[in-house]
Amino acid sequence: MGNVMHLHMDRHAMTQRLLPWYVGQSLSIAERAGVDAHLADCAACRADLAEERALRADVVALPLAEDRGWAAIRRTIDVRAQSRVSWRWGSLPLPGAVRRAGWLIAAQIAILLIGAGILARQEAPARYHALGAAAVPRAGNIVVLFRPQARERDLRAALLASDARLVDGPTASDAYVLQVPAAHVSASLARLRTDPAISLAQPIGTGIAR
Amino acid sequence: MADPGVDKWRIEPKTRRADGDAELFARIKDSDLRAFEQLYRGYHPRLTRFLGNLVRQPQVVEEVLNDTMMVVWDKPDSFRGASRISTWIFGIAYRKAINRLRKLDEPIDDSVCQDQVDARAGPDQQLADGRIAGVLGAAVDRLSADHRAVIDLTYFHEMNYREIAEIMHCPIDTVKTRMFHARRKLKRALAGDFSDWV
Repeated sequence: MGNVMHLHMDRHAMTQRLLPWYVGQSLSIAERAGVDAHLADCAACRADLAEERALRADVVALPLAEDRGWAAIRRTIDVRAQSRVSWRWGSLPLPGAVRRAGWLIAAQIAILLIGAGILARQEAPARYHALGAAAVPRAGNIVVLFRPQARERDLRAALLASDARLVDGPTASDAYVLQVPAAHVSASLARLRTDPAISLAQPIGTGIAR
Repeated sequence: MADPGVDKWRIEPKTRRADGDAELFARIKDSDLRAFEQLYRGYHPRLTRFLGNLVRQPQVVEEVLNDTMMVVWDKPDSFRGASRISTWIFGIAYRKAINRLRKLDEPIDDSVCQDQVDARAGPDQQLADGRIAGVLGAAVDRLSADHRAVIDLTYFHEMNYREIAEIMHCPIDTVKTRMFHARRKLKRALAGDFSDWV
């Protein structure tokens, strides 16, 4: 009995030491057969085997030195951006995620509003009319930014789904002005904001819920 | 995150890689610079990973890597053909890295690293944040150079313990023991949450 226990412990210790190469499938046929036989009898080693597979997968997935270097730089950039945001947005009662993204949203909205402002100026009624010149209605009520990777058919689908017409753009900030039926602005806006081809949609004009 | 260059060599079967190495090596013996460049480019991502884990200093990694490959170029006849070419090259890289660590007074074996404690956030906190990679990466950092080497050669470079023993110029049982203790330390770093993690 003592000899049997001793043999079991030897196999147990041997299996424990061979598990990394068992998982890596680099053991000899005889070694593999020995480990297989012990695993069939030993619940502890079967549990270790599961741990070993997980450990191996996670070690292999660890970032390389250059990834670590980039992660460190990225952290520095994030910390700087966050400190700027907290300085500007800190006093506003906004959720944490909105505060973190605040600087980016603010920058995009500012660009859009500047673009929309330029368009609005262009759309101001002329003080004179050239003879024969027809008035061209270019009144948009939504301004959007399309994602760079969006394809032409994605843009068409987004416009159709939102009952929108493209009336101007691209602006200096690469935004486009859309016109949707006045009664459906809010619904169209909500639809555009969920469209994967669109990164930002904002209403132009007053009285529209933002 | 993953380096496409690294993935490229990892999916290549070992036998095909070994055949390609042998062919290039025969040309390198005839001072074929293009063959050497091909071998260099093939080994660069693998050695960068291995040496990066060993010495942990990017500028030193590049130096040791080039010192290693210069041996291949200058002394191809020192390869006797008793092992794979990759084992021979990794062996040179390992010895050069260890020599460099000694000069930098960095710990090589486990006697110094055994009781080091990470000053960063505790494992429970980091795991709670879902940053397994952070905990594991920190635990690997705290291993000795020898333990890091066996972990990397086994898990990432998929070498068997005989090849590792040749590279590290030590008995097979030493490789098994180092691997056993290194794994135990990594598991300990992940503590009681290991079952959740699996």
